[in-house]
Amino acid sequence: MKKPELIARIFLFLLLIAAGAAGVIAAVPAFGPGSGEIHELHARMPENGGWSLDTISAKAGQPIHLRMTSDDVLHSFAIGQSDRPPVDLYPGKWEETTLVFDQPGRYTFYCTRWCGRNHWRMRGTILVTGEDVETAAQAETQEKPLYLALDLNLDAPHNAEIVPQREPSAERGRALEQRLPAYALDRDTYLKNSPETVWKRLRTEPALADLDDAALWDAVAWIWARQTSPEKLAKAAGLYATNCAACHGETGKGDGVMVEGLPRFDPANIHKEGHASTSERLGNNQMAESEMGLSAPGDFTDPKLLLGASPALLEGKLLRGGMGTGMPYWGPIFTEEEMDALIAYLYQFAMDTDAAVQ
Amino acid sequence: MLSKQKLFPWIFLFAALLIVFAPLPIQAQPVERTVRIEAGDYAFSPAVIHANPGDRVTIELVSKDVVHGLTIDGYPDINLQAEPGKTARTTFVANRAGTFKIRCSVACGSLHPFMTGKISIGPNLLLYRAGGLALLVLISGAVYSSRKQKAAQ
Amino acid sequence: MSQFTVQEHNPHVFEKGAASHRNPLIYSRWPLFIARAITLAGFVLTILAGLFGSVVGSQNFAIIFVWIAWWTALKLLFIPLGGRSWCAVCPIPMPGEWISQGGIFPGGKKIGLGRKWPKQLTLGKLGVLNLHGTWLQSAGFLMIGLFSAVTLTTPALTGWVLLGIIVLSFGLSLVFEKRAFCNHLCPIGGFTGLYAQAAPVEIRVKDRAVCAAHTEKTCYQNCPWGVYVTALQDNGPCGMCMECIRVCPHDNVSINLREFGKDFIESRKSSRLDEAFLALVMLGCVMAFSAVFLGPWGELRRAAYQVGSANWMVYAAGFLLFAGLLIPGLYALLLRLGGPVEKFGKSMARFSRPLLPLGLAAWIAFTISFAFAKLSYVLPVLSDPFGRGWDLFGTAGVVWSPDVSIISPILQAAVLLGGLLWMGQAARRDADTARRALFIQIYGLMITIAMLFLLVG
Repeated sequence: MKKPELIARIFLFLLLIAAGAAGVIAAVPAFGPGSGEIHELHARMPENGGWSLDTISAKAGQPIHLRMTSDDVLHSFAIGQSDRPPVDLYPGKWEETTLVFDQPGRYTFYCTRWCGRNHWRMRGTILVTGEDVETAAQAETQEKPLYLALDLNLDAPHNAEIVPQREPSAERGRALEQRLPAYALDRDTYLKNSPETVWKRLRTEPALADLDDAALWDAVAWIWARQTSPEKLAKAAGLYATNCAACHGETGKGDGVMVEGLPRFDPANIHKEGHASTSERLGNNQMAESEMGLSAPGDFTDPKLLLGASPALLEGKLLRGGMGTGMPYWGPIFTEEEMDALIAYLYQFAMDTDAAVQ
Repeated sequence: MLSKQKLFPWIFLFAALLIVFAPLPIQAQPVERTVRIEAGDYAFSPAVIHANPGDRVTIELVSKDVVHGLTIDGYPDINLQAEPGKTARTTFVANRAGTFKIRCSVACGSLHPFMTGKISIGPNLLLYRAGGLALLVLISGAVYSSRKQKAAQ
Repeated sequence: MSQFTVQEHNPHVFEKGAASHRNPLIYSRWPLFIARAITLAGFVLTILAGLFGSVVGSQNFAIIFVWIAWWTALKLLFIPLGGRSWCAVCPIPMPGEWISQGGIFPGGKKIGLGRKWPKQLTLGKLGVLNLHGTWLQSAGFLMIGLFSAVTLTTPALTGWVLLGIIVLSFGLSLVFEKRAFCNHLCPIGGFTGLYAQAAPVEIRVKDRAVCAAHTEKTCYQNCPWGVYVTALQDNGPCGMCMECIRVCPHDNVSINLREFGKDFIESRKSSRLDEAFLALVMLGCVMAFSAVFLGPWGELRRAAYQVGSANWMVYAAGFLLFAGLLIPGLYALLLRLGGPVEKFGKSMARFSRPLLPLGLAAWIAFTISFAFAKLSYVLPVLSDPFGRGWDLFGTAGVVWSPDVSIISPILQAAVLLGGLLWMGQAARRDADTARRALFIQIYGLMITIAMLFLLVG
């Protein structure tokens, strides 16, 4: 072979090998720093497969290194019941983070930026095993949620029979605090009773007989307001906007963008299988979805709805979800404080409970 | 002596300058305007928005499926981000006239690079002037070809 | 300076006589080879990035470099300034050409059947398929249009398409002579050949009398495209590789600078119907692409993307009817309005040249509209071709988004108007009557108004 031909061939092959080598390096994902395990986690819409890893296993105290990206839309990585700020995952961009769990148990990681209809299903598990069996056992036995202790039927209708004529105001109700009986200010009463029930009990009190119905409702609003604070309500507003407003509506009317076209939820019509049937049609194409059990939530601004529900009942619905409607379960996601604040926030749609606690 | 032949180029040049530079009368007064734009499935709805120069425009961006963004070419200060449950709002003064593309600024899937709409602030002068010039090109072309044919006969 | 004659084998460089001022860029084979090696390596990288890189298009070398960088360079630089100059450095035919000629530089042992490309394919009862001319390339470009929404946004599909093309080209090189894929199948080559006639460069013989006396026809033997250089009258078939310049024993071929679009105005052989059809298909396609990719019509875009769905079938039928029938038919109608016509095909072919500057301008304007806003992706993707988070050259984080909102539409409008002006000039030269010229220009006006509305409206 002539020399120029040889040189040309060598030059060509060198270039081709360089291109090929780049491809090989890119195709093998585990090229990276070796200390600790690096898990490569791809976020995808649940329709496209969800998280690329369903479960991440680790030992207690062992750092978990994650290298994350999104393959389709903007997602976010967050750990349930944790203070960790979520990490936004933009398509094609990589983020790295390291997690450490000191306590063994099951932890949930989930997506916090809406990524479609099935966004809430985008959850995975981190299984942290530990040698301390006792701690693990203790972690398992948590307090039973109140709705179980009270044996509440989460799926039964809870419409209030007696409703206020005007929106109850905690600001007006505050002036009546001194006159209220002790039980009314007790946290236990708040947790286990609906506003309507508390109102009915107050209505039977002779000491309050001079107050008209509306004033009593204001007092109930104040009782509700005392159990929370403006700071907690503000935080809950953020939680609501991020997690709930897409279905329940930014104004609580149950008209969020995710439930457009779905039939309105009517608990009076639940079939044995737990699917809600339709009593009100909102648009076209409901048949398939009502058979799937998806429905639009009720209107929180309608006083009949919330005023007949106790915080224990609401907590149960949030924890368990379901009801044959597509409502997600939030047990692994919210901490107890977040849950309390969120429940208190929900009542704001029916009562004006945003008042400063002196 | 100015022959017709020598006159034509000047006539067309004058017409062209007229088309390009003649000011159009200002038609509409600025108003306050609110537009609700739904973003979903790689499209904005409505995708075409009109405003008068000087309008105070409020845009409400409502997302129907995933996180979408909204930017407007020529208005670099506008950058909205909305997702289901979180409507985004911004208000700006439409001081720059013209027709500008509205783009989605958050990667929202495969067709994201083509998720566009447009906002027309004032009449689309570029389109009208360019269209007028195109017509002028045709007319001048017709004149020249008929003169060429006459000359050949 | 040593002297070499044709008979002595020194295939990589030629120096004639005592002249030492031969431009090595032209007369040496090395510059072209180096360019081709680089584009081939880039092509391999593109396929690998498409198949193994990020699924997110904006972070993938394959998508950004093929559909943004290369496409823009092709439409704005290679074609308008260099004719078929991309074809000179294109990597797709190279593996096949190198293998079939027995080495990177010619003179080795030839491999392959070296058959002539068949003129037609008899499809039994269905009739005869004309395989010559640009019919296949028109069909190819229409196919691209049908699947473009998915291909442009799916790196893996881009990778597979490119891999398929280079394998096909390679296979064809083993069976057929010359650049079979480039000449007869490449959809890019189809319109590049048409628009190349606008370019300000050309390769032509210097003195035809010299060629008449020369029997060996060395130029034709060595031209990878099978062009008979003496007879070359326009830039359409010439791949600008300059091999003929190098091998001519009489140094009778040269590369010349000339005025833009000289091929439109010099009298030459008449155009063919297949070229006319391709020119019209390209006009229809640029309007359809403008509507689908740049328009505010989300339904249309989704329909173009959801390949296989019912909506897509409707889109496909509409697209094929529009680009394959309506736009060509409209031109036929306007020609008829311009005066009596002979056989339908003949007049379409005879008056097709004005369509070329119109089409070139439309595609340049479309490319400006489409790509200017996305050029900012090029630098980052060079440093991170596979979207793995690399930063090879430090440009991965470069954010460069200049405000082109005013200049870009003005540029597009100016280009479209320039195309209309140029078309008018060609129409007036080619038309048989003033009325015919008028109606050809009316067609141009309609297309220009439509493109103005789609791009800047």
